[in-house]
Amino acid sequence: MTSTASAGSPAAIELDGVTKRFGKVLALDGLDLRVGHGEVHGFLGPNGAGKSTTIRVLLGILRHGSGTARLLGGDPWRDAVALHRRLAYVPGDVELWPNLTGGEAIDLFARLRGGVDTAKRDELIERFDLDPRKKGRTYSKGNRQKVALISALASDVELLLLDEPTAGLDPLMEAVFQRCINEAKDEGRTVLLSSHILAQVEALADRLSIIRKGKIVETGTLEEMRHLSRTSVTVVTGEPIDRLADEPGVHDLVEEGGQTHFSVDTARLPQLMRELAAHDVRALTATPPTLEQLLLRHYGDELEEAGV
Amino acid sequence: MTATANPLSAPSDRQPGALAGTGTLLRFMLRRDRIRLPAWVLGVTALMAYFANAIGAVMDAEGLESLAAMLANPVMALIGGPGYGFDDITVPRVLAGMYGLYIMLGAALMSILTVARHTRVEEQTGRAELVRANAAGRHAQLAAALIVAVLMSLLVSLLTSVVVAGAAIDPRPDVAGSVLLGFSFGAVGLVFAGVAAVTAQLSSFSRACSGLAGVVLGAAFVLRGLGDMSKVQDGGLSGLSWLSPLGWSQQTAPFTLDRWWPLLLSVAGFVVLVAVAFRLESRRDLAGGIFADRLGSAHAAVWLRSSFGLAFRLQRPSLIGWSAAILVAGLIFGAFTQSMNEGIGGMPEEIVRVMGGADGIVEGYLGFMGLYFAVIIAVYAILSVQSLRAEEQGFRAEPVLAASVGRPAWLLWWVTVTALGALWLLALAGLGEGIGAAVTVGDASLIGPTLLGHAVHVGAAWFLLGLATALYGLAPRLLGLTWAVFGYGAVLSLFGEMLEFGQRLLDTSPFQHAGQYPAGVVSWGGVGVLVVLAVVLAGVGTLAFGRRDLTTA
Repeated sequence: MTSTASAGSPAAIELDGVTKRFGKVLALDGLDLRVGHGEVHGFLGPNGAGKSTTIRVLLGILRHGSGTARLLGGDPWRDAVALHRRLAYVPGDVELWPNLTGGEAIDLFARLRGGVDTAKRDELIERFDLDPRKKGRTYSKGNRQKVALISALASDVELLLLDEPTAGLDPLMEAVFQRCINEAKDEGRTVLLSSHILAQVEALADRLSIIRKGKIVETGTLEEMRHLSRTSVTVVTGEPIDRLADEPGVHDLVEEGGQTHFSVDTARLPQLMRELAAHDVRALTATPPTLEQLLLRHYGDELEEAGV
Repeated sequence: MTATANPLSAPSDRQPGALAGTGTLLRFMLRRDRIRLPAWVLGVTALMAYFANAIGAVMDAEGLESLAAMLANPVMALIGGPGYGFDDITVPRVLAGMYGLYIMLGAALMSILTVARHTRVEEQTGRAELVRANAAGRHAQLAAALIVAVLMSLLVSLLTSVVVAGAAIDPRPDVAGSVLLGFSFGAVGLVFAGVAAVTAQLSSFSRACSGLAGVVLGAAFVLRGLGDMSKVQDGGLSGLSWLSPLGWSQQTAPFTLDRWWPLLLSVAGFVVLVAVAFRLESRRDLAGGIFADRLGSAHAAVWLRSSFGLAFRLQRPSLIGWSAAILVAGLIFGAFTQSMNEGIGGMPEEIVRVMGGADGIVEGYLGFMGLYFAVIIAVYAILSVQSLRAEEQGFRAEPVLAASVGRPAWLLWWVTVTALGALWLLALAGLGEGIGAAVTVGDASLIGPTLLGHAVHVGAAWFLLGLATALYGLAPRLLGLTWAVFGYGAVLSLFGEMLEFGQRLLDTSPFQHAGQYPAGVVSWGGVGVLVVLAVVLAGVGTLAFGRRDLTTA
């Protein structure tokens, strides 16, 4: 590794053991995060887990405590200005100046980053169905969000930092957003997408990280995560299956009305299928774990504590 | 259907239960203002207590004599009042006639900011919508805000009455006069609560609410100033004072005529204004204004491409407003130069001495006005740093700094635009003043020196701007301390000479160091020191701002 801070460095975002403390509250507790170039990385976690704090550390708006943070090969606090020329940020809660129009704000943000692609800007305004002549104070939350999104997407940048970027958008706009992110990916841009809309992350993300209480608890591709998780199986067999509950990796076995429901560690699935085949399978459905189930695995205890 | 669709007589003007929830909202506002309300009331009271006891302490019979001579000057009428009873001067009369005006300004600002805070600011932030979605009537918020403002005015009236009556002054101020003086302050608070209630209805923009009310306050100040100057010179325009809410309170003449009836005008004014405000509020949408929003440009102007462009774009509306007001005020005050000049024969030596001396009253007056405008324009500079803090607190700084904008650039360009704005405003004041004087006196050579004399006062405004910037960078919560330094300096420089404070003490005021050109010489050294201090302070603020976390959502 002789390369210095350059585009040749291995990852767009590298956080190692990053901490951030607000008074007595430890918001980031040794967070590790790695996002490769050209990757769309989903960043999942509930409110207050530290998603926005992480992004603001990456922006150099907050200064982290211990640990190291590298962004596009540079130091996010020290090199903030140079780095910001190469990235665009969309916050979850966009505040605009009450007496500037949306169009002015779009141009301003893009120019402050280094330039606006006017054709792209106008095309995006069209696609997102925004009236750029209205003053900031008259926009709804969704429209303020569009202003920030259009400005970010119309900028020629390597990295998009999106913090719950579609929180106020309707489903039609959500679809437009997903197409735009796929286009950005095709152009080779890197995207860090913080979200709690699981369908969005499933549709867009190459890899994802789950954050909990300021720590990354799991990271990888969705497939890898599924592999570590359980598949739900419902099966109807001609012959009764004995000893299924004793098979390693089988959980939550329930029999009702001739159907057998259980979940199985995905790694054990091939072995189990061979076992089942010997029992005259008449019907079988197997569903891979949903993202929701993956999340629940990490947050289940909190839900229990909350009495859900 | 169409016959009744006259927007001026909307049938739903009288909403049943329009005041529902007022009591709850009132308690809520008092809870929100549990620190702010006492701070305002006690702050205004403390200023009164300071004036009362300070004058009582420094004035002996001889001092009063020379003060009386000086107070016969129209400039003193401009910055003080109509001067009732100054021919048989006593300390309480000086207190009411000279310093009362500044307590009134404090009470007016208190009311304006209180009403704006609880009405239009709430609407612009969308919090009013949450409130109105509950069982709260259309007028409940305004009504509760007005009750808070009335309560504050009442408290100011009572407490200032007490501190005046109890002040260490010989002879002791009589109780009746003290109470009248106190209530003349409260009356101004009352009227301007009404003014703010009306301006809150006009635009959907919260800054316009307090801004327009501030314009009314400025106009009231100028009107009574012109009227009072005319009165001191037995001119024909003294009726102007009666057009101003500040004038109504001053015409009570506490400790001299002791008349209460002018305050009836204040109460009537309040009632009318509140009625108008409620009526306007019935006709508009929540969060909307009487004046509709217009569409703006779909593209940013070519120059809006840097932190400098942004700072200029954001400060432009306020600069335009200030420019207009300052230019008009300069012209008006300048136009009074000739009256001063004509009155010089009847003026005692002391005035000419205090006003700057040898060059005569014209230069003395023009020199003093430079200081006066410096104090006003320092307010502009400090308010601008407060707007910058609002940018950060409103989370609008975050996306800008997330673009390729360095923190030093963001902060320094804002401050630079403000610094240039302050210089521009002072030059404009000087130009207006100079033109007004040149036209009435008939001497065009006054324009240049007056402009220069005003412009060099920018050192004081820059110093306070630098101080505010330093505090913003180091500890934004302490930004308000700038106002304490400002108030200290303004009081010393405007009144210190009258109170016969020593030069050493006077020199601690930042406004003291430019020299009152053209009456005296320009003190380039003093201006230079202020500018250097301003730059150093701004630098400290910039460094500190680069090290702290940003306020985030």
